Amino acid sequence: MTTCVRPMRASDLDAVVAIERATFPTPWTRGIFIGELLQGESRRWTVVTSPTGILGYSGSMQAGDESHVMNLAVRADARGSGLGAAMLADLMSDAARRGVARMTLEVRPSNASAIALYEAAGFHAAGERPGYYSDTGEPALIMWTDELDSKGMRERIRELSERGLRSISKRAGSAVSPAGGPRRALVLAIESSCDETAASVVRGGHEVLSSVVASQVDFHSRFGGVVPEIASRKHTEAIVGVVDQALTDAGVGLGDLDAIGVTYGPGLVGALVVGVAYAKGLALATGLPLVGVNHLEGHLFANNLADPTVEPPLVALIVSGGHTSLVHVPAWGIYHTLGSTLDDAAGEAFDKVAKLLGLGYPGGPAISSLAKMGDPAAIAFPRAMINSGDYDFSLSGLKTAVLTYVDRERKAGREIHAPDLAASFQAAVIDVQVFKAVRAAEEFGVTMFCLAGGVAANPALRDALRVALAAHGVRLSVPPFELCTDNAAMIAAAANFRFLRGERLGLDAEAVPDLSLS
Amino acid sequence: MTLVLAIDTATEECAVGIGEWDGAAMTVLGETNLDVPRSALTHVVPAIDRLLKDCGARIDRVGAVVCGRGPGSFTGVRIGVATAKGIASGLAVPLYGVGTLDAVARRFADHDTLVGVVGDAMRKEVYPALFRCSRGRVERLGGYEVTLPAVAAARWAETAAGEAILLAGNGLAKYEDVFITALGERARVAPRDDWTPTGASLLLQAYAGASAPEGAGPEAGSGDPATLLPIYTRLSDAEEAERAHCGEGLPASGVSGPGGGRS
Repeated sequence: MTTCVRPMRASDLDAVVAIERATFPTPWTRGIFIGELLQGESRRWTVVTSPTGILGYSGSMQAGDESHVMNLAVRADARGSGLGAAMLADLMSDAARRGVARMTLEVRPSNASAIALYEAAGFHAAGERPGYYSDTGEPALIMWTDELDSKGMRERIRELSERGLRSISKRAGSAVSPAGGPRRALVLAIESSCDETAASVVRGGHEVLSSVVASQVDFHSRFGGVVPEIASRKHTEAIVGVVDQALTDAGVGLGDLDAIGVTYGPGLVGALVVGVAYAKGLALATGLPLVGVNHLEGHLFANNLADPTVEPPLVALIVSGGHTSLVHVPAWGIYHTLGSTLDDAAGEAFDKVAKLLGLGYPGGPAISSLAKMGDPAAIAFPRAMINSGDYDFSLSGLKTAVLTYVDRERKAGREIHAPDLAASFQAAVIDVQVFKAVRAAEEFGVTMFCLAGGVAANPALRDALRVALAAHGVRLSVPPFELCTDNAAMIAAAANFRFLRGERLGLDAEAVPDLSLS
Repeated sequence: MTLVLAIDTATEECAVGIGEWDGAAMTVLGETNLDVPRSALTHVVPAIDRLLKDCGARIDRVGAVVCGRGPGSFTGVRIGVATAKGIASGLAVPLYGVGTLDAVARRFADHDTLVGVVGDAMRKEVYPALFRCSRGRVERLGGYEVTLPAVAAARWAETAAGEAILLAGNGLAKYEDVFITALGERARVAPRDDWTPTGASLLLQAYAGASAPEGAGPEAGSGDPATLLPIYTRLSDAEEAERAHCGEGLPASGVSGPGGGRS
């Protein structure tokens, strides 16, 4: 299940009140919740979201050196999954962070499952409040827990949150992990989806201990593009050495690892197969859990890896030799692809135009540096689909326009001004991408935009996006070059996220060349 | 005593074997041979896992890994090789290679005959290899290659005139007629069930005549999982096309230069 914890907002109240009414005989009114949300710093109100809406909510109030659990409820169909425990652990660790030592709550004596949960969290019965519940006249059982900041309590909170972590993810806001979060997992990741054989060891999803990339570009360049069979062969040749190097560089052995992550799609099937087969063999031999990663999710996580403050909600543009798509990310693990290229990927278009101009492969860097010396307005190439009203792209028409232009000029005996051509072509690509990027950021109301994939290395694209987005109050995140191009550190970061959610790849898993991001 | 795990996925058969090597002889403890065309990646690791359990063995007791190196389906060979590399690396044990066609010939080691193994190379070609089998010994009479079925058949017809050749290999499914026509009465065709390598034949071929540990089979290599490679016999299509292209426009010097004549 794809879930995320974040602060409660007024727009959540329809769902919250519905759960409240379905859970308690004497539910809080919408007005009480609104009042709570207006209290500010002294309160902590969070919701757990999922694709099926809000699953639960909880809130606490700090009063001096005590904290009161105000409310905690889980939607009926999401109970029994540890969600309540995780939310309680979140409140307790938040209290501990505030320096609060004691926590208290009231519960109906007839609510056995709630009492069991609180006892497991270290609460003990300390008295009764007579006639507390107006519907039945039942007293409230008062429970307390002490020494929230003690080692034993921290350990208990950690256990509680780990139990919950099996079903919920902890990304947004400062949810369960900080005070007594789970031990930071050590993940080895393997990437072989295209023409780079890569392995990396990352701790806790952020600390890159090693990142090894064996590029095959020299073996493909004379063919003007990646030759799948050559890629598969080079992966087979390199994989053991690359993984060994990653472990050596990180100063760890296989026995130190918590999980193995591997890219299982999308990409070239023959290339993916090598990484997946190797990773499965390694997992069988070591008994380590195997986690499958979507290559595109890896590109998105490259942003969070480079800068942990990059968090959803965000919109991302993934542009590389194989991909061109705009993705709305309301939370990690939830991806709505808004649009994609209908034909060539952006990187592919750069390669093809570079080939036409005799600039060699890969074409991106060559076009980009040539364009710096040219006039982007010199030739009016089409801005394909800029007015299509959707988020799709088309680049093959532009490529054809460049080809037609070159043919016509050559036939007319005119010399091609390569810098002008490169600059004009690049501007046509960038204009459409920036236009749609800004529109998507506006439509989804995000203040964070991520650029991902190898074409993110293009400085003109970065600059144009940064300026256009800044004008709308949106911050642009671009990972450093080595995290934009294919690498395994980003795969390890995504694998860490999936690993903590309990996701595993079976030993019978296939490579999925057309795996979609969802 | 070394517990040895063997796998081959170069053909449509996913072959897995577990045996015990005592320094002089290989005892096969169990094997699994699944007919799973184009889905070796799905089946091979679960098959290993099951076979280990069936044999009462544990993966961490495996002391050496053997894998079929082809020639065969490119992707198929790589699935077996990459899986074996992962297992051997994970266990920090040696990885030995064995020719897939040799492992087919091993099935007839006790016959006293020439054995012609015809591997299917797709695209109307085959991987032919001729072996001399005699009293438990299997000797390959040449290197690995890829060629047209008729060319291989004609060559075998000229070899060791008069002697019968026992034919096997998954290439016979398409080209049995070609070989029977060329060899005439000399052709004997092995039962179809014996055309692919098995877990047992991989183990026995890898350790045939071995004086362990280095001497495991002619294809064994150094035992380093990093250096073991598949046997392909031909370049990628792109490189083959490049060669053909450059062949037409051979420069006067006769030297095509680095990068196949283009830079």
